[in-house]
Amino acid sequence: MAAPSEEDAQEFLLMTIALQVFVSGLAAGGVYGLFAAGHTLIYRLTGMVNFAFGDLVGLGVFATLLVLSGTAPVTQSGAHEPRFMGALVVGLVFCVSAGILTYVGLVQPYLARGSTIGWVAGTAAVAFAIRAAIGAAFQRSSYVFPDPLPFHRVGNSGFIRIAGAQVQARAFFVIGLALALALGSAWLLEKSRFGQALRAVADDAEGARVVGVPVDLLIAIAFGLVGALAMIAAIAAAPGEAVNASTGTLLGLKGLVAALAVRFGPPLLAFGAGLLLGVVESAIANVHLGSWQLGPSYREVLPLAFVLLLIAAWPSRAALEEQE
Amino acid sequence: MNAFAQTGGELRRAVEEARAEWSRGASVVVAAVLLVALVPFLSLPGVRLDSLADTVYLAVAATGLGLTVGAAGLPSLGAGAFMAVGAFTSSLLVARSGWPLEPAVLAGAAAALVAGLISGGVVRLRRAFVAVGTWLLAWLVWLFLLAFPSVSGGSQGLILPPKTLLGLDATPTVHFEVALALLALTALAIAAVRRGAPGLELSALRQSPRLATSLGVRLARRRLGAFAASAFVAGLAGALSVQLAAVADPAAYDPFLSFKLLVAVLLGGAAATLGPAAGVAALGLIGLVSDPLARVLQLPLERFDTAVAATLLVFVLALGGGGIVPWLEPYLARLRRQPGTRLGPHYAFDREAAAGPVLKAVELRKSFGGVVALDGVSFELARGEIVALVGPNGSGKTTALRLISGAEPPDAGRVLFEGRELTAEPTPERVRLGVARTLQATAYFPELTALESVLVGRSVRRRFGGAVRTALQTPNARGEAVESEAKAREALAFVGLADLVHVGTPQLTTSQRRLVALASALASEPDLLLVDELAAGAGSDELERLAEVVTRIRERGIAVLLVEHNLRLVRRAADRVLVLAAGRAVAEGSVAEVADSEVVRQAYLGTQRL
Repeated sequence: MAAPSEEDAQEFLLMTIALQVFVSGLAAGGVYGLFAAGHTLIYRLTGMVNFAFGDLVGLGVFATLLVLSGTAPVTQSGAHEPRFMGALVVGLVFCVSAGILTYVGLVQPYLARGSTIGWVAGTAAVAFAIRAAIGAAFQRSSYVFPDPLPFHRVGNSGFIRIAGAQVQARAFFVIGLALALALGSAWLLEKSRFGQALRAVADDAEGARVVGVPVDLLIAIAFGLVGALAMIAAIAAAPGEAVNASTGTLLGLKGLVAALAVRFGPPLLAFGAGLLLGVVESAIANVHLGSWQLGPSYREVLPLAFVLLLIAAWPSRAALEEQE
Repeated sequence: MNAFAQTGGELRRAVEEARAEWSRGASVVVAAVLLVALVPFLSLPGVRLDSLADTVYLAVAATGLGLTVGAAGLPSLGAGAFMAVGAFTSSLLVARSGWPLEPAVLAGAAAALVAGLISGGVVRLRRAFVAVGTWLLAWLVWLFLLAFPSVSGGSQGLILPPKTLLGLDATPTVHFEVALALLALTALAIAAVRRGAPGLELSALRQSPRLATSLGVRLARRRLGAFAASAFVAGLAGALSVQLAAVADPAAYDPFLSFKLLVAVLLGGAAATLGPAAGVAALGLIGLVSDPLARVLQLPLERFDTAVAATLLVFVLALGGGGIVPWLEPYLARLRRQPGTRLGPHYAFDREAAAGPVLKAVELRKSFGGVVALDGVSFELARGEIVALVGPNGSGKTTALRLISGAEPPDAGRVLFEGRELTAEPTPERVRLGVARTLQATAYFPELTALESVLVGRSVRRRFGGAVRTALQTPNARGEAVESEAKAREALAFVGLADLVHVGTPQLTTSQRRLVALASALASEPDLLLVDELAAGAGSDELERLAEVVTRIRERGIAVLLVEHNLRLVRRAADRVLVLAAGRAVAEGSVAEVADSEVVRQAYLGTQRL
């Protein structure tokens, strides 16, 4: 048998890297996607952008961590399932109720008054306050999230080989879960009475109010639920990487970037944009064409700059100020 | 020699004016600034000059942000990003290229200005998107600094060598005096801009962008000016404060810095020029109490500060969002002199009367989706002629008006004004050329007086009303301000509201607001006035008055195009009537001729007679 030529080997290496990039990108993107879908749903319901979205989810994630293992550093494994489920429920309760409180206390009053600066400053205040509170309780620069599912037992201590590529087994779980959550909630939005009412509010909030839809209650619940969905995905992905007080903030930011890239289009489209953003980030960090490589430094900066340029130079009609 | 004499005369005049307008409040402010300037020489116990100077630099940046947040009403979450751009540009120039301080600081401010102009595209957007764009900017700059240690010096930051500032060793005392002088200059310039034409236009844009742009105010240009000026000031403050700190530390430019600046603006009061500086001072004072508290509670200091700032903001918002300075206003008002009424000379404005029709609309077409709103309509208006566009709902009247005013582009056809092709010109340019328009009576500026509303309409005729000239209060700018006010008063007198110049628009009746709208449009000295549904919901007395005003407008040689449902007003005022039905002109002629037309009766389904 002839030894594989150098060219073949290189092509094989390229394929391997591409696969790794793609799978890990999709896993990160699945989480971004749920944040993006949440942002776009809230925008379509209210015309506002929740700057505290990421931090509200971060609050839930760290509440879960607090119940699981306190503020001490933890090892990768060692979370027992019943305790984990309990902690997750506590985290979800925190995340959902904080979301609802934010809407009721700091968003709805200002939306009703037509005061943009009110809800902008209000949600930004919540964002920074939560980040400060998490940072005060968890003072190390990063934490490892305990893993309830024994992924480290799959394959080679958590990594499986596909076509020569080393891929985290967790990645497939995260991708599957994110897809299931996105498609499931899209289906609910389409079919359930709650979903239909939400769509009515998004179409014409005043009209819905007139025919007796409890608009504010629905939006408040939606505010909490989008947080819960994003939080489940974030927790599923959390053990893969170190987390700190800014983790939630950055996830919210990336969700916003993805939602803006599709101009707050339908939630499923925003989810797709999130997936794409994950793959793009991963590609920017890892892919090199010949000797030319962007590298990890550009991973977060480039998509952000692109979207900022997009809204500044080519805004959608809906985003433009009303002019004669 | 002549130029010297002229300059001397101007200066003397300026001094006289300043003396005439001097008030006790101004004396108090000057005394306070001088007193604060003495602080470094008093060797007060427990006062750290470097942190005090740093606070004053922050106040400079916040004062600049006040222009964007207060005057323009744009919720910026990215002011800190411009401080970072100024800080790192100047630091790199000083630390790596060995530049002296002064040019490096100016280059830093210039870089921030450029960053402001580039990201300034967001000012054309609705406020929610301005917030989103500036939020992204704050994160972008911070993530960039974290990701590129080669630029930011990484976790150590860039160490800056000691330098001289304005020929003196850059000690905290020198920085403090420079910062204070900068604060005073910034506040003076911004106060002048806010009181002048640019401030009025920004305020009009904030209250009703639609009405303001219909009067010819250029939204993107004005807002970009405010946004970029804020960026420049923030860059300047950032570049200087980083030299004071002697190290450019990326961690100091977390997006929280932007948020802190916004908190300072809202805490002190965005509506007042000195509000943001007062907000920074308040945050500093609160820090004096909260920092020891944080130490007692063993909490990380910067986390505690964040929580305190966020909580404060929530309180300010809950109390109505006014802030400290506006809340103190009633007490300060006693120190202030009531504004006297200044009346300038009367300026006549004669325009060369051109031959031929003022307006020619040629084969205008417009459809929305599949619905044809206007299907090839042509008509002309002569100087001093009143033409009414009438027709049932959906016949295309308002669409025709919008195509002529430039609110929408036609699908086909042309608009010629005094022989000049207007079809591609945007609304403000058309107003400048002499095509004014009123919106329906529901649109008005809730925070302006009648006179100020009319001055917004006058703004297109100003040549020296730019931000720079206004900030410097050049003789031309001041002369023109007097002239504008005279013109605006004249326009108000023309519509019969001479007694109501200082009354707030919300206190006016609907019928008075219609007249203010007419006066605003007239203040731009148009040759063609487009009037949209002037009489909607008007009573019969009111109708008489409106008809009388419209007729007198014609006597000034202005052509008037009325889009009108109220056929009584049409009969009273119009020389000629053009009847539209389903996007086509179905009849044209005098009121009497059209009234007898069978086509017209059919168009109205025979329900209404002229």
